[in-house]
Amino acid sequence: MTVAALEIQDAVVSYGDAEPVLKGVSLSVASGEFIALLGASGCGKTTLLRAISGFVRLRAGAIRVSGVDVAGLPPDKRDMAMVFQSYALWPHMTTAQNIGYGLRLRRKSRNDIARRVGELLSMLGLEGLGERKVTQLSGGQRQRVALGRALAVNPRILLLDEPLSNLDARVRGQMRHEIKAIQQNLGITAIHVTHDREEAMVMADRIVILNEGYIVQQGTPEEIYNRPATPFVASFTGAHNVVALHLGIEDGLVRVAAGEHNAEALLRLGSEGAHLAEPKGGPASAHFHTEAARLVIGDDAPPNSLTLRGRITQSSYPGGVYRYAVDVGGRQFMVDDERRFSTGDEVGIWLPAEALHLYPATPEHMARLAGIDENRDRL
Amino acid sequence: MRESRFVSLLLVAPALAILLVFFATPLGYSLVTAFVAKDGALTTANFVKAFEFYSTDIWFTVVIVGLSTVLIAVIAVAIGGYLVLGDSARAVAILKWLYRWPLFIPFIVAGQMMRSFLAKNGLMNNTFVSLGLLDPLQTTSFLDWQGLIITFVWKQTPFVALLVAGAMASLDPSTIEAARNLGAKRLRILIEIIVPQVRRTLVVGLILSFVAMMSVLSVPLMISGESPTMITVDMAFRINFYGDYGVANALGFTSYLITAAAAWFYLRQGVREGAEP
Repeated sequence: MTVAALEIQDAVVSYGDAEPVLKGVSLSVASGEFIALLGASGCGKTTLLRAISGFVRLRAGAIRVSGVDVAGLPPDKRDMAMVFQSYALWPHMTTAQNIGYGLRLRRKSRNDIARRVGELLSMLGLEGLGERKVTQLSGGQRQRVALGRALAVNPRILLLDEPLSNLDARVRGQMRHEIKAIQQNLGITAIHVTHDREEAMVMADRIVILNEGYIVQQGTPEEIYNRPATPFVASFTGAHNVVALHLGIEDGLVRVAAGEHNAEALLRLGSEGAHLAEPKGGPASAHFHTEAARLVIGDDAPPNSLTLRGRITQSSYPGGVYRYAVDVGGRQFMVDDERRFSTGDEVGIWLPAEALHLYPATPEHMARLAGIDENRDRL
Repeated sequence: MRESRFVSLLLVAPALAILLVFFATPLGYSLVTAFVAKDGALTTANFVKAFEFYSTDIWFTVVIVGLSTVLIAVIAVAIGGYLVLGDSARAVAILKWLYRWPLFIPFIVAGQMMRSFLAKNGLMNNTFVSLGLLDPLQTTSFLDWQGLIITFVWKQTPFVALLVAGAMASLDPSTIEAARNLGAKRLRILIEIIVPQVRRTLVVGLILSFVAMMSVLSVPLMISGESPTMITVDMAFRINFYGDYGVANALGFTSYLITAAAAWFYLRQGVREGAEP
């Protein structure tokens, strides 16, 4: 068995006497792998990155780089380099001085530094900007300099702390692919912290989702998107439309009982069917992505699908398709459709079995669903 | 449009009047007096006399204040650096609490304190003697140029440290972490990463301190009144004993030129960096 490039074992981190921010996180990263740590703010993803980098001490657990425990070592002895959210460039230095600083600390000769900085400038598309002060560069250029500074010292592991969040959308989209391409060309192991699901999906080989100090799921972008393990992951990956159902399990099939807003439906399970997180009948919550839903009129309900009855309360045209807000028993769902409907039309929200992620309803979850409905009534 | 300009001039007028009456006029008057003889004729005799009698003191003043400024810079940076980079939270808290105290002590009190602290039989030497570090016969008084520098540095360092520590604390901490991440040690981070970023604040604090030290009369009077001494003592002497405002103002004009040189040095740097945001 090969030794993991980075292995984190039962890492616990707390600030002072407060409740731990990381409550026992274990993660193994293969050499050359691109990992995205994804989660909402406060979930512990940045703390995990800072623990890996050595800026935050572990209270318990181990961090091993190629089998060697580095948990007690300072940041610069871990063979890792970090790219910061704010770029963290030194404004009094030129682009070349910023990139070459780590080499200067390593007492490389002036010629070696100049050669390496030149290589990086051309790799990052910054030719001719070496003598510019970094304060004269654009946001995207600054982020490239920050990347160059980290890569200059040939670290084994590259740590990226929300490096794209300060960039405007267009540059961000472009930088995602550039960073990914550079990472693949160099074959470097990378850990990327982000709260942007799309960014994580586009860049990472494997996504690790954190919530409240725990890893709740890890897998390829497809696994995370198509098979979210928990309602939290489903919501976080965009399947944030939720509806309460009652399920009955029959061999290889799920029978959705007729409810106030839906007719009875029989759904297949597995790769061409619904995603059933736990083989358990009874009350359940069903999550689905907005993109997976279509509108239907009347009772035409194809097999292996579920239709929710509702009424259009709002329509808009964001471009390409119309976007409708559909009220189903007091809950609003956003559904896109190419056809033109009017406000007040009775419609069905058609959900193919593949679009549904079914979770046994927890009492809190049901209370939350009910709470939303009550609030809506009050409004 | 014209009316609003008139109103804004009216609003500025009181402040402007105070500036003109209480600052610009006396300054201008003393500058002019420096070039006027007792009979009212224009002359440079005051300057000739001032340099003849007091050129040693002028150089003495420049060296004392200059040396003090350099020491203040070093210590203030060290204090600020420790406050930002220090590992021990308790030591940082104690230093933060302690270092500002001299700010609240007037120059004359500082002078008086140092007089009893630095004298031949003062507190410092007595302490050394009682600790067995010095023989009573070896003790020397520090009440000379050394005492001046010690007092100035003690009194002015907190002011510069306060400004510098504030500027350091407002730096993006990830610029420091980035350097640590690449392997820079603390002293190196302080000198190569932090100080260059707070240089403007440091220079402003040093120039303000320079000017303050140039104008202090009480400290040189109390610590080292004998020759050589500082320009301020000579000015007081010319006025109090001879009523010689001409030479006193010539000396004043000279110290004005010295501080102006320091200010010019600062402004020149500002212009050079003017292109940067």
